[in-house]
Amino acid sequence: MTVKIVTDSLSDITGDMAEELGVSVVPVYVRFGEQIFRDRVEMTTEDFYQRLVNSPVLPTTTQPTPADFLDVYQKLAKETDEILVVNLSSKLSGTFESATQAKRMFEGKTRIEVIDSRAVIMGLGLIVIQAAQAAKAGAGFGELIDLVHSAMPRAHSIMSFDTLKYLAKGGRIGKAQGLLGSLLSVKPILRLRDGEVHPVTRVRSRAAGMDYLYNFVAGFEKIEGLAVEHATTPEDAGQLINRLADIYPKERIYQSTVSPVIGTYVGPHVLSVSVLEAEK
Amino acid sequence: MISGQDLREMFAAATSWLEKSASEIDALNVFPVPDGDTGTNMLLTMRSMVEESYRAPDRSAAAVADAMAKGALMGARGNSGVIFSQIIRGLAKGLDGKDSFTAAELAVALRESVEMAYRGISNPVEGTILTVIKEAAAAAEKQVAENEVDPVAVMKKVVAAAGEAVARTPHLLAVLREAGVVDAGGQGLYTILEGALRYLTGEAEQLQFRKPQIIVSDLPATARLPQMIGAEEIPYGYCTEFLLKGEKLNTEKMRKRLEKRGESLIVVGDDAAVRIHIHTMDPGHVIQYATRLGTVHQTSIRNMDEQHHDWLEMQKEKTPIADTAIVAVVSGEGLTDVFNSLGVAAVVAGGQTMNPSTKELLQAVESVRSEKMIILPNNKNVVATASHVQSLTQKQIKVVPTATVPQGVAALLAFDYEADLSTNVELMQKAMEAVRTVEVTRAVRNTRIGDIKIKKKQPIGLLNGELVAAGVDSFDVIKKVLEGMDLQKAEVVTIYFGHDTVQAEAEQVSAGIRELYPHLQIEVVQGGQPHYNYIISIE
Repeated sequence: MTVKIVTDSLSDITGDMAEELGVSVVPVYVRFGEQIFRDRVEMTTEDFYQRLVNSPVLPTTTQPTPADFLDVYQKLAKETDEILVVNLSSKLSGTFESATQAKRMFEGKTRIEVIDSRAVIMGLGLIVIQAAQAAKAGAGFGELIDLVHSAMPRAHSIMSFDTLKYLAKGGRIGKAQGLLGSLLSVKPILRLRDGEVHPVTRVRSRAAGMDYLYNFVAGFEKIEGLAVEHATTPEDAGQLINRLADIYPKERIYQSTVSPVIGTYVGPHVLSVSVLEAEK
Repeated sequence: MISGQDLREMFAAATSWLEKSASEIDALNVFPVPDGDTGTNMLLTMRSMVEESYRAPDRSAAAVADAMAKGALMGARGNSGVIFSQIIRGLAKGLDGKDSFTAAELAVALRESVEMAYRGISNPVEGTILTVIKEAAAAAEKQVAENEVDPVAVMKKVVAAAGEAVARTPHLLAVLREAGVVDAGGQGLYTILEGALRYLTGEAEQLQFRKPQIIVSDLPATARLPQMIGAEEIPYGYCTEFLLKGEKLNTEKMRKRLEKRGESLIVVGDDAAVRIHIHTMDPGHVIQYATRLGTVHQTSIRNMDEQHHDWLEMQKEKTPIADTAIVAVVSGEGLTDVFNSLGVAAVVAGGQTMNPSTKELLQAVESVRSEKMIILPNNKNVVATASHVQSLTQKQIKVVPTATVPQGVAALLAFDYEADLSTNVELMQKAMEAVRTVEVTRAVRNTRIGDIKIKKKQPIGLLNGELVAAGVDSFDVIKKVLEGMDLQKAEVVTIYFGHDTVQAEAEQVSAGIRELYPHLQIEVVQGGQPHYNYIISIE
């Protein structure tokens, strides 16, 4: 029996990808005032940005409930004895807690392991993809757990922002607070490190931001996985992928959009790359 | 309708909500005195208030609010606690005679709170808890004016407005801006209102699993200039607080009498009980005066210099020591703000015709808590002075020889938080070389470049420090300089207009450039620099 892999919607693994990989994605919630939506399920990235621009209230997000995870565990328990859950960084969300609580609530023989990936967006996505491919190929439970742990320190995500306004309002600004309030219009570049948001540098133009992301990828000796994401600017993402094609086979670069929940914090015009560095 | 019972429970829930973040609110405190006890003081005030509310003679809103006001006054501690007790007193006044209250009555009561809060203080300062209650009350009134009848809906807007007001406090109060924090008392009030709202929306149960959010300042912490650091040596004196009980007490008279005795004076209460809070050098005198009027209770006299010292120690542990810090030489208020906003650790005033001394630079370097530093001279005549500093300090100093303001900004932006000193110097040097600088000033004497004759005071244009054009006005000069440049690959143009130039003219220049070069992204910033009408960066 193959091990089943579960993650949350902040892995930016889209519906198609999830189906192909056989991964269950538990949606995080995004809330506009009284209205609550399940990330990517009840609200697409496009709908989200429409609303973000037009809504008088800023959205907030809520982690999935333990019951949401329990539901998925119970369904999967009918097909498998082993479930591996890989969640986004516990420093950014309580999703890991919910998944862990659900494990305690679960009654049954199925073994469940919940891992705090300390990653998010496609940094998490690339870890999950690798685990799912290994699971399909028949890797055992212990082997998969080791694989995820080994991949975690090698997953890197970096994002070029138009504004940090949303990140600050949502309380997820972390150590990048020093980049706030610049009197010049600058585009901050932030990186996820040890599960938290860290400032890297600032650039003046979108093109310079793209250069920075390209150089970031070019700085790695060997790459095992690569993903490019955008929120509202598919042309920029396409352009970056074309440039990255001289570093890594284009057809193997995953392309995704940031989910509405992530959109709550990053705002529009965000561009990001995630790299899964090869083992040295 | 909100009943007296609800009113009590609302604030009981708010007390537990506040308790969770009291210590974080303590850490925010910088105004009026950085001593770090605002959260705790407000919490103690709340506890006394809620305790007393259970002693209300009946369950009407009026009786509960009255008891709350009494409890708050009796237990008020610290500046914010006393002001908060006034807010509750206003609330009680507004709810007088009411068994329960509607949305409209809530708005009226909040207005009373504002009045009462401002009245208690001899010198109200905006950007504090006062601003927060004022904005909150205004939001309630606006809702009622728009025919909202649901008190819970009104409270939601009140909380939202309070949160926004807290976020804006650093814009109103320089000490907060310098420290990069929001006002502690304001944050405390916001947390209390939020807790009360959560009770009303039936979320009180969930509060135990969650934690109030401390609002972050949307302005960065700007380092104090070296010369301002001495200000810490001014003594704060003693924070003196007590409750005075007596008959026919006259708060107005007492306030007048004590006004000259110290700072942050608050005198609040009624004719039977008055709470006094003052920062004074001579607490003995204040107490002596009070004992003549009645009996003195709950006296607290604390040495604020000691408290402030402890607070500074606490802050030291909290402020992250950036591995590498940057000192920049800048003149002009606007440009100083720009450099501060981009995260320099210290700014030394200076530039064209006013080069800073080695000593000034050294002082700035020594004042920053970092062992590795980069100096941005931003003027070619300052580069040598800056290089001197290296031999005069134990710290590791590098100079990135920026010769113009745009070079300095470009270098500063390129700073990489994850890189070490030498890599950063490399990155910054590269960024500095990639930017082009156009400066517009006036000729100081008659001269000639090539075929062009230049008259004294005529507008002239420099490209990377070289005189290349003269014209009839600033825009004419800029146009000529740009004509001689290859702008195909340029993306961003930043126009810093000087002290003697008006914004409207700068906007016209910007519009003119946009028309000629539509592909450029142009930004106009008030630089306030002397001598140069315009400093223009082309990246």
